[in-house]
Amino acid sequence: MGRTPVVVLDNGASTIKLGVSNAGKDVRVIPNAIIRSKGDKTTYFGEEFEACRDFSSLNYRLPFEKGYLVDWDAQKAIWDGIFSEQVLRVDPTAASLLITEPYFNLPGIQEVYDQFVFEEYEFLSYYRCSPAALIPHGQLFSIAGIPSPECMLIVDSGFSFTHVIPIMDGAIVWPAVKRIDVGGKLLTNQLKELVSFRQWNMMDETHIMNDVKESCCYVTSQFAADIEATRANPKSNTILQEYILPDFSLNKRGRIRKPDEMTLDSDQILYMNNERFSVPEILFRPDDIGLPQSGIGETIAQSIALLPDDIQGMFWANIGLIGGNTKFHGFSARLLSELRPLAPVDCEIVIYESKDAILEAYRSAVHLAKQAAFSSLVVTREEYQESGSNACRRKFKDWRSADKEKDGPVDSGKGKASMRRVDEKEPSPPPSAKPVRTRTRTVSAVKRR
Amino acid sequence: MPPRRHQPARQAQAASQSLDAEVLAKRAKRRLDELERSNYAEPSVSYLGLEDDEDTGKSGKGRARQTISDKRILTGAGTKRRKSTMNIRTAILYRKNLTTLIDESGIADYSTNIPTYITAVTGPSQAPPRLLCSVCGYWGRYKCKKCTMPYCDLNCQGVHDETRCERRVL
Repeated sequence: MGRTPVVVLDNGASTIKLGVSNAGKDVRVIPNAIIRSKGDKTTYFGEEFEACRDFSSLNYRLPFEKGYLVDWDAQKAIWDGIFSEQVLRVDPTAASLLITEPYFNLPGIQEVYDQFVFEEYEFLSYYRCSPAALIPHGQLFSIAGIPSPECMLIVDSGFSFTHVIPIMDGAIVWPAVKRIDVGGKLLTNQLKELVSFRQWNMMDETHIMNDVKESCCYVTSQFAADIEATRANPKSNTILQEYILPDFSLNKRGRIRKPDEMTLDSDQILYMNNERFSVPEILFRPDDIGLPQSGIGETIAQSIALLPDDIQGMFWANIGLIGGNTKFHGFSARLLSELRPLAPVDCEIVIYESKDAILEAYRSAVHLAKQAAFSSLVVTREEYQESGSNACRRKFKDWRSADKEKDGPVDSGKGKASMRRVDEKEPSPPPSAKPVRTRTRTVSAVKRR
Repeated sequence: MPPRRHQPARQAQAASQSLDAEVLAKRAKRRLDELERSNYAEPSVSYLGLEDDEDTGKSGKGRARQTISDKRILTGAGTKRRKSTMNIRTAILYRKNLTTLIDESGIADYSTNIPTYITAVTGPSQAPPRLLCSVCGYWGRYKCKKCTMPYCDLNCQGVHDETRCERRVL
């Protein structure tokens, strides 16, 4: 087992982070999308997108919907490419796989993951878990000389949504995991809409607007002051930025105009004023766009309130940020200022930022894959052939493992796999009839909800 | 000559109360659905949800199902074109949207002490909602009498009346 290469696949809704554990440091970040470029008259699958030259009016087909994998046709087309010899340079049938899945992944979807891994690509063995579950194996909290904390709270703000995930002794405390339905996709769409209404019609230019978002937007710590500042006359407005839009002939990439830079007549300028901070603001105030949910600060407080009283302070003191949205300038400063009034006065609040928030889960995964203990986590192909998805269900700890006795209502309707291999241990009839026998590991966390 | 804007603020509030909360919730929901689309191009008065979003590949009753994964030809990947198993074909051909999958998974019936996708959503905010001008993004001190969208001054009200007003209200 020790010599088996481990393919590490952080399968995000926006980008796939891919590498092999024993092949040095190189990681590939590949769009998890099938992208049609009108200008190039070509359709790009996943990793082929780097050949794209004309980024105007791209059409996206994404395998994920609201963070969950629903379009397996598209996903297979992309995976076929990355598991091929050109990209991965590893034979899946002689390799192990570590793949990430979304939090609270649905049982029915998990089964299809298992099927693809073993039946389509025929990996030797595999391990599936959520990104935050990998963080304890990584270096996000590492300070020289201090062992990594037993309690930590991960904020994972990605493309589809934002989660707050408490982790105790290396295991996720699922009853206290909370979700905000705001992610990078929504932010880009919101920016697109604002800009299209106020200036240029950019509704078709998701790619460009995503770049505008990443280069211009920031999180403000003084919303009221900044919104006044953007009303001031342009000379004294320090927030206003001019983004020179790409035209895909002379300038391929858009850029922010530097203070003394001359512009050509042909340049199209996009003025970024209060859009710069009012878009990321949605992460902290989802109700600004009519989404009746709390922002990140309040959600962290809600999550910590569900944890055992005596150790809550440990979570306040170990907050880690991962996911692309946490890269917004000013994110952690704002979060700290939101959390301070919500935490008990005697609590210390420490926020750990990742050097590379998008790759943090991937790098942690590589660390895990290198450990000897990894081989005890995986489900092997033999085990799958023996008992199908049940093998994975028993072994992978996810949100249902708080409740192991109840494995019942997973095969909804089309359980063809499980019909072939009937698991004797599981005669429970589908839906509704559920024994309410729970074995929750964090008893004190189960308060009313 | 603009009429005096004294009362309208108060009237707007009255209007917002008379507009059904249900209608407003529906409008907010539709807007959020739009923001989740992959190719959000036109803030359309949508055609029953998101289906127009994703292209070609799927269904259309009667039409032969085309899959994009079969169309992809990998160069150099060799001749290894095995037939996929039944499970894989099923997953590729019968795409279900998330709402259906959630329904089928039965997580709505799980007992309340088991955390699921449904229970994990964060609670509503304690803070009162802020009103921001739907035109320029500044504080929205007033609300449109017809559609309750906030705006900040006469200027933005004019823009609002000409463009956005009532488009989103049923």
